[in-house]
Amino acid sequence: MGTGMELIIFLVSAVKSTGLSNRVVKESIPTFPNPMLSCIMLWASGYSEATLNDSFLADLDELSDNEDDLLEADNDDAEHMEEDIDGDLADIEALNYDDLDSVSKLQKTQRFTDIMQGGFVVALPLSYSATDFLVLKVEDALENGSENSTHGIVLEDDPEYQLIVDCNALSVDIENEIVIIHNFIRDKYRLKFPELESLVHHPIDYARVVKKIANEMDLTLVDLEGFLPSAIIMVVSVTASTTSGKPLPEDVLQKTIDACDRALALDSAKKKVLDFVESRMGYIAPNLSAIVGSAVAAKIIGTAGGLSALAKMPACNVQLLGAKKKNLAGFSTATSQFRVGYLEQTEIFQSTPPSLRMRACRLLASKSTLAARVDSTRGDPAGKTGRTLRAEIHKKIEKWQEPPPAKQPKPLPVPDSEPRKKRGGRRLRKMKERYAITDMRKLANRMQFGIPEESSLGDGLGEGYGMLGQAGSGKLRVSVGQSKLAAKVAKKFKDRSYGTSGATSGLTSSLAFTPVQGIELSNPQANQFGGTQSTYFSETGTFSKIKRT
Amino acid sequence: MEYLLPTLRKKQEVDSLIRDTLDKVLVLRFGLSSDAVCLQLDDVLYKSVKDVSKFVTVALVDTTEEEIQVYLKYFDITYVPSIVFFFNAHHMKMDSGSADHTKWVGTFQRKQDFVDVVEEHMVQGCKSSLCNCRRYTERQ
Repeated sequence: MGTGMELIIFLVSAVKSTGLSNRVVKESIPTFPNPMLSCIMLWASGYSEATLNDSFLADLDELSDNEDDLLEADNDDAEHMEEDIDGDLADIEALNYDDLDSVSKLQKTQRFTDIMQGGFVVALPLSYSATDFLVLKVEDALENGSENSTHGIVLEDDPEYQLIVDCNALSVDIENEIVIIHNFIRDKYRLKFPELESLVHHPIDYARVVKKIANEMDLTLVDLEGFLPSAIIMVVSVTASTTSGKPLPEDVLQKTIDACDRALALDSAKKKVLDFVESRMGYIAPNLSAIVGSAVAAKIIGTAGGLSALAKMPACNVQLLGAKKKNLAGFSTATSQFRVGYLEQTEIFQSTPPSLRMRACRLLASKSTLAARVDSTRGDPAGKTGRTLRAEIHKKIEKWQEPPPAKQPKPLPVPDSEPRKKRGGRRLRKMKERYAITDMRKLANRMQFGIPEESSLGDGLGEGYGMLGQAGSGKLRVSVGQSKLAAKVAKKFKDRSYGTSGATSGLTSSLAFTPVQGIELSNPQANQFGGTQSTYFSETGTFSKIKRT
Repeated sequence: MEYLLPTLRKKQEVDSLIRDTLDKVLVLRFGLSSDAVCLQLDDVLYKSVKDVSKFVTVALVDTTEEEIQVYLKYFDITYVPSIVFFFNAHHMKMDSGSADHTKWVGTFQRKQDFVDVVEEHMVQGCKSSLCNCRRYTERQ
């Protein structure tokens, strides 16, 4: 049997959570309660994942020490690490060839009988080197499978469904593992090429690039074609020529390369798991896969944690499943996508014009939630509901893209026949207040009987002052009320701060003596508006209006 | 432009049109369809007829016809083209800057000019006691 086959069988069998291997692992690693995870650890990164974590901690401790100690500790640790890594490798190899075989041999008898009864695992298209024994099993399994599917049993009891659920959880765990390994690689490779981590974000791409570059200082000798888009390759080469990194020591390099290998292996394993799930998606969730496609359906079921969990989610959450939360600092946010998750990868979404994508995404999320609900209760095993929903979605999207009806030239309305729409409300009142007649103007407009008014040019020439300033007017003093219009204009100009702002008093200085930092320069205009100071004491505030009763 | 706008040749036609146009401004253009200035005016009229159709009716009166001479004498039309405005069978007078307030002589430069004139006629006609259309200019 090829190693590919071993991988799958072991993987899948590992997922089943029965058998010898789990118990062994459970005893040896108390830190991993999840049996599946521990199994994958057993295979992918060896049971010394714990030691990998310890090495992280060791590295962190080293960083805060002196350089000498660093070097020494590094050397010491390197030795340990090497041993561990060797141990890992040895274990892995042992696992791969000895233990794996033995385990899988064990499983073969045990697992495959299980599979015979209800499993469909062996129906994987990856069984290139299938033996006759397996082929028979496949056919049997397929027959059993087709029989089972017509029963319409509750989904949760279906063993294949369990398998799919486990595969989903496994893929999520693998992803987390990849992130951890990526961090490790990054930390190690930082000495050599620190800028690479900000140029290449994707963990798998990063691992590939690191593996390709290895310890090479001259990037012109390294061919990165096919790993990255050419623009990024160019940027990487340019940055490499001016990088501040130094070549890594041999042992560190070896560690890094090994970690890269592990990451890549994990990635390929995840792909295989997803392919398997995808191939069975048509059976598990026919309606959902009719709408969004089997790959995306597999992914969202995986992220949701099962078909029934997905069915319970509101559509707005389904839309966001798988949305990338990372904000790429340093890159422009021009490409920052709106809030879409895995649904972004569906064919329907990709084929809508960009202006309609937001609406299409919402529509897609709602219809796929409906389909998921139908699937979770096995209401329509043929997938007809899914196809009708898909047709509906297509129709709606086409309708949105129709040009608007041609504009008919309308005849002009009869003049003065339409009533003017009068607005009211607080906002309008406040706006009108700014232009209202002030008290001063009111007084100036009136005149007292029998008393001649004063005028600006005297003797009746010029503008008359009316009752303003007259003795018997009944007002002790009329002051220029703070007009709101003036206040608003003043505020606007203040914001622009033409030249020196006249509001700060001459005694304030922009230098401040602070205890911690010594002398501090503060911007006198920094916190003038919107600061903690209330508008009561603000310089541009108006008098509060006291309503006349 | 006889084929685009209704053209009147008989006195009886003109009479009936004036009587029958209710609550709308009636625009009668007196002129010849072969005259250059007339043609320009007719063009403007034709373009605006659709827009003002809610409150305006436009008709052309051929001044070469015999029966129409009565009107020419009545309205004292010598220059061609001339436009006379009616509202509810009432002849509307308009101060257009010239001495003659009873009619509009000549052509309009732009379509908007014609629309303005006619809108003003409509407003005045509505305001007057000639019609009982609703008026929203009053404060409610």
